[in-house]
Amino acid sequence: MYRTAARRLLGAGFTTSRLLRLPKPRPTTTIIPYSYCTSSMESPIGNQSVNPNQSDPTAAREEGHRRDESRKPRAEFQEEQARVLAASLRHVPRLGWTEEAMIAGSREVGVSPSIVGSFSRKEAALVEYFMDECLQLLIDRVDSGLDLQNLIPSERVSKLVRIRLEMQIPYMSKWPQALSIQAHPVNVPTSFKQRAMLVDEIWHTVGDGASDLDWYVKRTVLGGVYSATEIYMLTDDSPEYRDTWAFLDDRVKDAFDLKKSIQEAKYFAQDIGAGVGKSFQGLMNGVMQTMSTRGGRSSAF
Amino acid sequence: MALRSISRRFGSRVLSYRSSSLASLHSHATSFGFQQVKEEEKSKLVGNVFTNVASSYDIMNDVMSGGLHRLWKERLVGKLSPFAGMKHLDVAGGTGDVAFRIFDAVNSVKRRALRKVDEDSLEETQIYVCDINPNMLNVGKQRAAERGLGDNKSLVWVEGDAEALSFDDNSMDGYTIAFGIRNVTHIEKALAEAYRVLKRGGRFLCLELSHVDIPVFKDVYDLYSFKVIPNLGELIAGDRESYQYLVESVRRFPPQEKFATMIADAGFEKVEYENLVGGVVAIHSAIKL
Repeated sequence: MYRTAARRLLGAGFTTSRLLRLPKPRPTTTIIPYSYCTSSMESPIGNQSVNPNQSDPTAAREEGHRRDESRKPRAEFQEEQARVLAASLRHVPRLGWTEEAMIAGSREVGVSPSIVGSFSRKEAALVEYFMDECLQLLIDRVDSGLDLQNLIPSERVSKLVRIRLEMQIPYMSKWPQALSIQAHPVNVPTSFKQRAMLVDEIWHTVGDGASDLDWYVKRTVLGGVYSATEIYMLTDDSPEYRDTWAFLDDRVKDAFDLKKSIQEAKYFAQDIGAGVGKSFQGLMNGVMQTMSTRGGRSSAF
Repeated sequence: MALRSISRRFGSRVLSYRSSSLASLHSHATSFGFQQVKEEEKSKLVGNVFTNVASSYDIMNDVMSGGLHRLWKERLVGKLSPFAGMKHLDVAGGTGDVAFRIFDAVNSVKRRALRKVDEDSLEETQIYVCDINPNMLNVGKQRAAERGLGDNKSLVWVEGDAEALSFDDNSMDGYTIAFGIRNVTHIEKALAEAYRVLKRGGRFLCLELSHVDIPVFKDVYDLYSFKVIPNLGELIAGDRESYQYLVESVRRFPPQEKFATMIADAGFEKVEYENLVGGVVAIHSAIKL
């Protein structure tokens, strides 16, 4: 249910792999040549497919055929980009989330490093690719039978957040850089969207009926818990990040307790309100009575 | 041969800029032959034009664009994102504007980061500047010497034709052509050559004067082009004809979308264009995959 809601809210790009995120700060237009229209799986946002041979149909078919045969099967740009970014991740622990890492990655794949120049918001492309990959891995872990049955909701949330954060351990030395890249105003829309999807996915997995609170509040709260834990992890030196997991468990418990506390506070406020209301009413009644008994005798008011 | 269209224009003063309605690919190469000129004479005429223009080329660029051409070239090089160890080809880049910017981009900031790069990318950066006119190249070499780059091995000045490059297949990481492609007779040939010399993953970037569609601004721009620029040419370079040719050739060059289609037809992928100053200038970019 939440996945469909997420899809509605966050746009049609919610297929978990190979998303094309190209928020274009300047208006640019992309053209896809005729021979690739049929083979493309997802069309990039805002493209126009052009048929250059429209004026001559028979020649077009021939041309198209000849073109397909004479040229070796070429990878789509998205696939190529994904390959380069995947290879670049291996260089991140050493070189950071930088162009150098992507240049090294592209060399590994056998493509000219010039291609890095065409990635929109270069370093951000690498970080966003990593975030997408992690989300995909999380979903795969969940789908391939993660045991959550015996756990209470707060423990389930803890476990999922822990699994997700553990994926970042190899890159922990450079993770602050990734966070600062995600915090750039240009990159904020995309990084926000990715985190929203992550949080939504976790809640979806934990299951319905976890609480009565509003959908947005749940996600905001979990977003806060996740970010706090992520930042805590940056400076955690304990073996196997034990302190981080303890911190996480506490925060999740607080969040769940917060719900109960809010509920209790609501009831408390209602009771107070009722009590005050009654006493006020009693007071008014008393006043009215006194006035009516006295009213017969005094005239002034 | 490139620039054949300039010599044709010498015979036809009657060229109207409205003739840009002829959108077919070969129109600006063959459609305006008021005078037939022998090939040897053509090349001489063409050679003369650019020989005359070469020495005041940069000043005229500054005056005509109000200095904006520098920003446009900065943007072009920014988009290219040069890296150390790159093999780059700048075509029709005679006086070296784009080449110098690429050189600076690679050598000043990125040198510091170079130490982070793998040891096996110790290849030197090579920037080839190719131009069909030797006088333009000479001006470029002079400017290089003035900057102290006269002996630098990274900058290589090559005389050559955009339609028939002397470079090997799959040898270049980047290809740029700034304000040169509209002078080429057969644009598709130049694009095909660009495709040939680029490596896999290599980028093609073209900076060119293009078409303006914005209503009021279009008229202002037309007025400026046809009234002001030829007069400036006369005043500063002493050469009204070449600049008259320039503004007419801009109108005859295919509009942004059409040109993008031509690039895609040459086999490039991820073809994009970006309009600057409302379409006065457009940067087309594409990747060979």
